Amino acid sequence: MILKKVLFLSLTCMLLAACQSSQKEEQKTSIRIGISLYRGDDTFINNIRSVLEEKAKEYERERGIKVTLDIQDAKGSQNTQNNQVERFISLGCDVLCINPVDRMDASVMIDRAMAAKVPVVFFNRQPVEEDMNRWDQLYYIGVDAKETAVLQGQMVVELYKKQPGAVDLNGDGVISYVLLEGESSHQDSLIRTEWSIQTLKDGGVPIEKIAGGIANWERSQASAMMEQWLDAYGDTIELVVSNNDDMALGAIDALDREGIQGVNVIGIDGTTPGIEALKSGKLLGTVSANKELYASAIMELAASCAMKGELPREYPLTDGTYYWTPQEILIHELED
Amino acid sequence: MIGKRGKILVILYMIFLGALFLMCSTDLIIREPEKEVYQMAVIIEDTRDDNYGNFRKGMDQAAVEFNADVRFITLYEKMDSQQQLELISREQQDGTDALLVVPADEEQIIMALARKEITIPVVLLGAELTGQEVIGSITVDYKEMGELLARKMAERIPKDCPVLVFAEPEIHSPKSRRFLSGAMEALESRGHGCQMIAGSTDQGFLEIMKAFKDWDGERAVILAESPEILTEAAGILADDPAIASAVEGLYGRGSNLSILNYVDRGLITGICVTDEFGMGYFGVLTAIEGLEGLGNGAGKTMDSWYIEKKDLRDPAYEKMLFPIE
Repeated sequence: MILKKVLFLSLTCMLLAACQSSQKEEQKTSIRIGISLYRGDDTFINNIRSVLEEKAKEYERERGIKVTLDIQDAKGSQNTQNNQVERFISLGCDVLCINPVDRMDASVMIDRAMAAKVPVVFFNRQPVEEDMNRWDQLYYIGVDAKETAVLQGQMVVELYKKQPGAVDLNGDGVISYVLLEGESSHQDSLIRTEWSIQTLKDGGVPIEKIAGGIANWERSQASAMMEQWLDAYGDTIELVVSNNDDMALGAIDALDREGIQGVNVIGIDGTTPGIEALKSGKLLGTVSANKELYASAIMELAASCAMKGELPREYPLTDGTYYWTPQEILIHELED
Repeated sequence: MIGKRGKILVILYMIFLGALFLMCSTDLIIREPEKEVYQMAVIIEDTRDDNYGNFRKGMDQAAVEFNADVRFITLYEKMDSQQQLELISREQQDGTDALLVVPADEEQIIMALARKEITIPVVLLGAELTGQEVIGSITVDYKEMGELLARKMAERIPKDCPVLVFAEPEIHSPKSRRFLSGAMEALESRGHGCQMIAGSTDQGFLEIMKAFKDWDGERAVILAESPEILTEAAGILADDPAIASAVEGLYGRGSNLSILNYVDRGLITGICVTDEFGMGYFGVLTAIEGLEGLGNGAGKTMDSWYIEKKDLRDPAYEKMLFPIE
């Protein structure tokens, strides 16, 4: 008899506790997202950040859930980023969105997030697979680097097929190009370089590399590099292939300074200044990730993790972890 | 060989050491001082934080130094005072300890404070209200800033040269109103006529500036009402050297990174700035002092400076314009 009473009482207690905890879940009316950017002055990252802020406001208005974004700039230091992650966790962030400084060194951040049971949405720089496989609450949002590079190559291939003279400026049958590369440690940089050039070759564009260098995604570094190449090779440069728009704009700055016109410059990212340059005809083309979708995917995925709800179906995840944002070619239409 | 008594002593000693370790590790003897984390929210009048870069750096610095958790909130619609009040009320309900507000409409905030709708400590930023309703305010005298800019412009532009004032069709921002009133009064008193020009909705100031190319001999002097208009005008000059060569000078206020880059490139002639890093830092500090009962509602007025390209690398200004966190 006593045993039955004890059993009944414990069951009631358990039920009450369960109800209380589910009530707590239901009452979640705000989410806090910690966002760490590898460098706040990177134009593409800044564009994504702006759209992300807009998306957070949209989410707040549509769902009536308060969204607090804590955005921090790691200024290119992995150590700073690790400290930021620690601070986000101590401030009670429900989910972290991290644009890693060093994609090979995400393990410390993952360790801390796993210990605190805080899901992480990485973006733009893909951590190594071993790290991503460590926990089922780790996600990555980015673009398929190979697809980006192929699209970049294709825009020149198509232009060459339509108007060979617009690409082979001196009409010698060979297109002399210079190559501006991003950081050597960034996987996208290597893939973009390899596949962009491969696509040009596969597309039958007769190319010859006359110079190339690493400008670390930066406009100023690219500008200085291009200036040196212009001094060394003068008007033999017909095409500038850049791993991103910022470096392409740096090359354009150098061309402007030298008063050289007509050299084709192609970039990647579709940043706001890049698109401005495209409109004015200074940039021949760029490959743009759909930033609306990119930022929406980050926001929706982060919010679902924070609310412990179902993952958003409109952003299907490859292997349950990766979302690849669609991309498109943006090209300046040349006059015939 | 240790005797029985010796063994007991060793065991007691071990127990003593164990107890000591436990007491230390469980805060029984050495108690970690409990630090209170102040929850704060900064609510600005804008939809974006483009003009708050250095302010945020100062705010973050103070948050780390004084153990505060500061959230930065922007509006859905620029200058929407009603929404700002709703956000204030939301933050209040969510248990925020103190608010730092850049008012979209100073009168509305004053009324809400008078009606006791805002019951948590408030620090006003960039407004002119001080007194018992708020625990402090960090003010910028925008009228004086406008006067300073006008004085410097008058020294540089040709005598009697008219000034084109690029402005929104309707100036809602109190900052802009005060700034322009100071600048225009000072310019007119020095014999420079001012002509207000509003940009079109779709093209902004592009068409207006393109027309400068056809001016016969005269060169335009432009005064921009806000940092946004200043950035837009400088961008147009950057894109079209022919327009740039038809402009005698472009002036305005603000110190976001784009503006500073344009100053560095010589596209913006002169700007008036204030110490935004200091404003963010002192804002948080004032709120903390208020929460700890040390505030007296007094206002702090930030100084204004006139900056040209040559001043950007001056150590005194460089530190203020490009603060390192």
